[in-house]
Amino acid sequence: MRVLVIEDDALIGDGLKTGLEKLGFSVDWFDDGADGAEALFQMPYDAVVLDLGLPGMDGMSILKSWRDKERTEPVLILTARGDVDNRIAGLNGGADDYLAKPFSLLEVQARLNALIRRHNGRPNPELKIGNICLNTNTRSVSRNGQAVSLSPKEITILELLLLNKNKVLSRETIEDKIYAWGGDVQSNAVEVHIHHLRKKLGQDIIKTIPKIGYILEDK
Amino acid sequence: MKKLSLKTRLILFFSVIAGIMLCCSAFFSWQESTEKTNEFFDTYQTALARQLAAADWTAVHSDKNRMNEDFFDKIEHADTEDEAIGFAVFNASGKMIFHDGENGRYFPYEPKPEAFSNTRVDDEKWRLVWIPTKDSQFMVAVGQELDYRTDIAWDMMETFTLPWLIGMGSLLIFMIIIITLEFWPMKRLAVHLRNRNGDDLSPLSDDRLPTEVKPLIQSMNLLLGKIQSTLDRERRFIADSAHELRTPLTALKVQLEIAQLATDDDRMRSEALTKLSTGIDRASRLVEQLLALSRAESEAHSDTQTRIDWHSIIHQMISDYQQPAQEKNIMFKTDLSDAGPFSHGNPILAGLIIRNLVDNAVRYSPNGATVQITLRDYKLIVLNTGTHVEDTVLERLTHRFYRPAGQKESGSGLGLSIVDRITRLYKSTLTYRNTSDGFEVTVSAQEPSSDFR
Repeated sequence: MRVLVIEDDALIGDGLKTGLEKLGFSVDWFDDGADGAEALFQMPYDAVVLDLGLPGMDGMSILKSWRDKERTEPVLILTARGDVDNRIAGLNGGADDYLAKPFSLLEVQARLNALIRRHNGRPNPELKIGNICLNTNTRSVSRNGQAVSLSPKEITILELLLLNKNKVLSRETIEDKIYAWGGDVQSNAVEVHIHHLRKKLGQDIIKTIPKIGYILEDK
Repeated sequence: MKKLSLKTRLILFFSVIAGIMLCCSAFFSWQESTEKTNEFFDTYQTALARQLAAADWTAVHSDKNRMNEDFFDKIEHADTEDEAIGFAVFNASGKMIFHDGENGRYFPYEPKPEAFSNTRVDDEKWRLVWIPTKDSQFMVAVGQELDYRTDIAWDMMETFTLPWLIGMGSLLIFMIIIITLEFWPMKRLAVHLRNRNGDDLSPLSDDRLPTEVKPLIQSMNLLLGKIQSTLDRERRFIADSAHELRTPLTALKVQLEIAQLATDDDRMRSEALTKLSTGIDRASRLVEQLLALSRAESEAHSDTQTRIDWHSIIHQMISDYQQPAQEKNIMFKTDLSDAGPFSHGNPILAGLIIRNLVDNAVRYSPNGATVQITLRDYKLIVLNTGTHVEDTVLERLTHRFYRPAGQKESGSGLGLSIVDRITRLYKSTLTYRNTSDGFEVTVSAQEPSSDFR
């Protein structure tokens, strides 16, 4: 899941990036409102974490500009001013959820997961295909009820394929979803991850469509 | 001694004045009535004596016994005891040949022709007038008891003074009523103030209060307004502070959670802990700055006034900032040839000015810059080279918690607002501008009247 974080405070922004990446998201962090606002149009983000007290372009104007341009990505707003009026203004301004500072990283994760699930029209945190089950909250995978050890990137690719069951995903799409800007992307990284997934979950689970991409088919 | 209330004092004052006036009037009436009574009775006595002197006393002398009874009757009818008049007739040898049968018989023979004499008759004070007959053979003496005159004069005085007494008394009663009524709105105001809630700083109503008291109420309302705005400022300050503390707290919490999550990643944990430590430093600095600002606010009410040694404060601050300055290769230059913007005040606050200005200069200057501190013409000037502040940013620089967009250096956004507050306390001005060399902050002694707050 790729998340856009717009937060001007260096320590919080860095913390959100490091922490959410540790929790399985790929994160792009911008500390400038205008750049962050533009970034949403460049990459397919699954959710946005937006600080309201931004210098330059403030959070509410960014949100408005996105909604005016019909962007539907779920937006979680962060602010130091957590009173009712502010929360109402934020939600009415097009935000999907609201967190007042000081917040917990785990709560950000939980809310982002919930927002993404809801956005995908899928309230169940468990994604299943055949005998394989992925819990998006705990980010754990089981096969026939037995836990399978997967790396965070592998889990993210599996999640992506599960969310797009019976659809072909190109390698570029997968790369966009799992790597943040500035991350180290090797040309065959996706192939390597798919290879590992097949080894751990069964050779026939992910099909390769030559020159197009990969597909997870519901049998 | 407890000071009496205005109302009591007014009543007391008017009562004493009324009393004195009443006494004066009584005294003058007494004098006047004594004089008038004396004048009247003297005339009366003289006239009576002249009438008696016109009588033929030779016959009386020779046929005294016969005439006497008859004459007495007349005299007694004419005379009245009330007037305490008496008379006697003496012959040339001083022998009393006739008298009124009462007081007259005791008149001593002390002739003073055509004149009055005060003498004692039967142990009472009498006033006698002596008129000789035409042939000078006899001397007629008509006398009146002086006590009687005093009684008459006293009666007259009483008659004059009683209306005064009644008038003054009623005047006093009315005055007490009027004063009580007039003071009633003030008493009501006092009760209202006493029962007022401590948080209620709404203006006082001057409705029905005397015009003389209105300026006082207006001044009090002005003061209440000032207290209200101070309170509002304090509340806003506390609210702002609480909000501003949330950001560093969030940073601490997030970094702590990362350290807890990174059980399998030592590098990530150690980085998070380093950032946690940075975050704690930043939060401490913010708290310190908030305290400094609140100290500057409360200093408005204290009177710590000592001589400010600008030179030593500046040198002290420069040595405190030597370390961070060296890290950025920043040079300090000083020109302390003149006096500072104010000569007396609180040295801690003067130190806060210098510290915040030097801190800002070091923090926001590029590497290799020069920080020039100058004391000249009662001005403190801190110039840091190589810095340019956008005009839109300049306007908001002293706003609390304001931090320009894209600011990478950590800071609380309070430094200049602290300096601004302190300079205002000392009737000085804070100005800042971009120069050809860099950014210049000046604290000068004069306060332009337009900027007076």
